[in-house]
Amino acid sequence: MTSIIDISIGQLLLALVFILLAQLSSFIFQLSLHRDIAIGTVRTFAQLFLMGYVLTYILHSDSVFLVIGVFVVMVSSAIFIIKGRVNEKQVAYLLPTFITMLLSYFVTAVFVSGLIIGSSPWWEPRYFIPAGGMVIGNSMSALAISIERFFKDLRQERELVEMKLCLGAGYREASAEQFRAAVKAGMIPSINAMMGVGLVFIPGMMSGQILAGADPMIAIRYQIVVMLMLVGATAVSSVSVMLLIRRRCFGSGEELLLTKE
Amino acid sequence: MAPILEIRDLSFTYEGAQSPIFEHLSLAVEEGSHILLKGASGTGKSSLLRLICRLASPTSGTILYRGEPITAISPPKLRSAIGYVAQIPRMTDGSVKENLLLPFTFALNRERRKPDEDALRRMLSDFYLDDLKLTHPALKLSTGQQQRLALMRTLLLKPDLLLLDEPTSALDALSARMVFTIMERLNTREQKTLVTVTHSDYRPSGAHVELYLLQNRTLTRQP
Repeated sequence: MTSIIDISIGQLLLALVFILLAQLSSFIFQLSLHRDIAIGTVRTFAQLFLMGYVLTYILHSDSVFLVIGVFVVMVSSAIFIIKGRVNEKQVAYLLPTFITMLLSYFVTAVFVSGLIIGSSPWWEPRYFIPAGGMVIGNSMSALAISIERFFKDLRQERELVEMKLCLGAGYREASAEQFRAAVKAGMIPSINAMMGVGLVFIPGMMSGQILAGADPMIAIRYQIVVMLMLVGATAVSSVSVMLLIRRRCFGSGEELLLTKE
Repeated sequence: MAPILEIRDLSFTYEGAQSPIFEHLSLAVEEGSHILLKGASGTGKSSLLRLICRLASPTSGTILYRGEPITAISPPKLRSAIGYVAQIPRMTDGSVKENLLLPFTFALNRERRKPDEDALRRMLSDFYLDDLKLTHPALKLSTGQQQRLALMRTLLLKPDLLLLDEPTSALDALSARMVFTIMERLNTREQKTLVTVTHSDYRPSGAHVELYLLQNRTLTRQP
C-alpha cells in the first residue's frame, strides 16, 4: 500500500476555492451568509490546527493520566452538548448522565482498544482516543434523543401515567411505555446505520483509513468493530441513564414530578 | 373507630406560587359517608383529592387513612385502596376488556382474582353500558362512556374510599344522571365512602351526605 500524499500549505490554500464559490453564491443570491462563511472558515482552520497539535502531542504521549484526562474532557464536552439539546429544568439529570457516560464509554473504549484491537498498553492513544471519540460522539446524540423524548412523553402523557399510578401501578410500571419509546428512539439511528453501511454510505473512519493508505479489508474490519461497539454502547448507556433519570422524575410518593410547561 | 380518612391542618401551595391555595384544612370522613366538595374554580378542590392519593405533596399537615399517615403506606397500595377517578377519563389504546383489566396487569394486583367476561358484562349493564362489546376499542367511546368505564375500572379493585373529581363535568345531561345514580347506589347499597368534587347543584340521596364549601382557603361545612 502507498503511504498518504502530504498536502502542502499552498495546496491547502487551494481548497479555499470552495469557499470562494460559496461566498460568490451568497453574494449573487443575497443569502447574507458571507460573514458566517468567513468565520466558519477561520474557525475550521484554527480549531483543526489546534486539534492537530494536541493530537500529535497526545499520540506521542506515554502518560496514561493524560490519555484518561483527554477522555474525561471529551465526555464533559459531550454533557454540555446534551444539556444544550435537552433543556430540562425540573429534573436534575446531568450528574447521573455524566457518571453513566464516563463509566460505560470508558469500559467500551478499553474493551475495543485493549481486547478487540489488542493494542498494548490498553490505553495506547492511537487506538483509545479515536475509539473513545467515536463512542462518545455517536452515543451522545442517542442519549440526547432518548432523554429529550422521555421528558417530553412524560409531560404529554402525564394524565395517562397518573391514571396507571392510581390503579396501583408502581412508578416503573406507570412509565414503562414512555421508557421503552425513549430508549428505542435513541437506538434506532445506530441500528439504521448498520443497515445502510457500505451500501448507502462509506463511514468517515473507513474513508479516512483508506485515504491514509490502509488496506480496505483491514479498514472494513475496524468499521465493523466500530458499528457493533456503537450499538452496544448506545443500548447500555441509554438504558442505564434512563433508569437513573426515571427515578428522579417521580417523588417519594411515586408521584410524577414533571409538570406541563 | 377511626374515620376512614382524616385531614389535619393541611396546607398546600403550588410550586412557584407565592401564597397557599388553601391552608389549615381539617376534615374527618366517616366510613359510609358521601362528602360533596364544592367551591369556585381554582380554590384547590382537585388539588385536595390529588393530595389524598399522593399525586402531589402538601406544604404542611397530615392525611391519615384508617388512622395511619398516608406517607407510611406504600404508594401503590394506598392508591389501590383509595380509588381516584380523574375529571377527564383516560383510556389506553386497547379494547374495553383490556382497559377494564388493566389494573390486574400491575404487580401489586396480579394476585387478585380477575373478573371473568360474564362478570364484566353484568357490570357494564349496571353502568348503563349494555350495548357495549368487550372487544370495542376504548378510545373510540364517547367521554360519557369512558367516564363510566373509568369508574368501573377503579371499582374492580374494590376500593373502600372513592375520590371523584367532577365526574360529570364533561358529560351531557343524560350521562351525568347515569353517573349520579351509580354514585348513589355505590354509597347507599354498597356502603362505599365517597368524596366527590362537583360544580353542579346535585344533591345525592342518602343518609350520610355532607356538603362542604372550599373558599377563601378554608373548608366550611354547609347545611
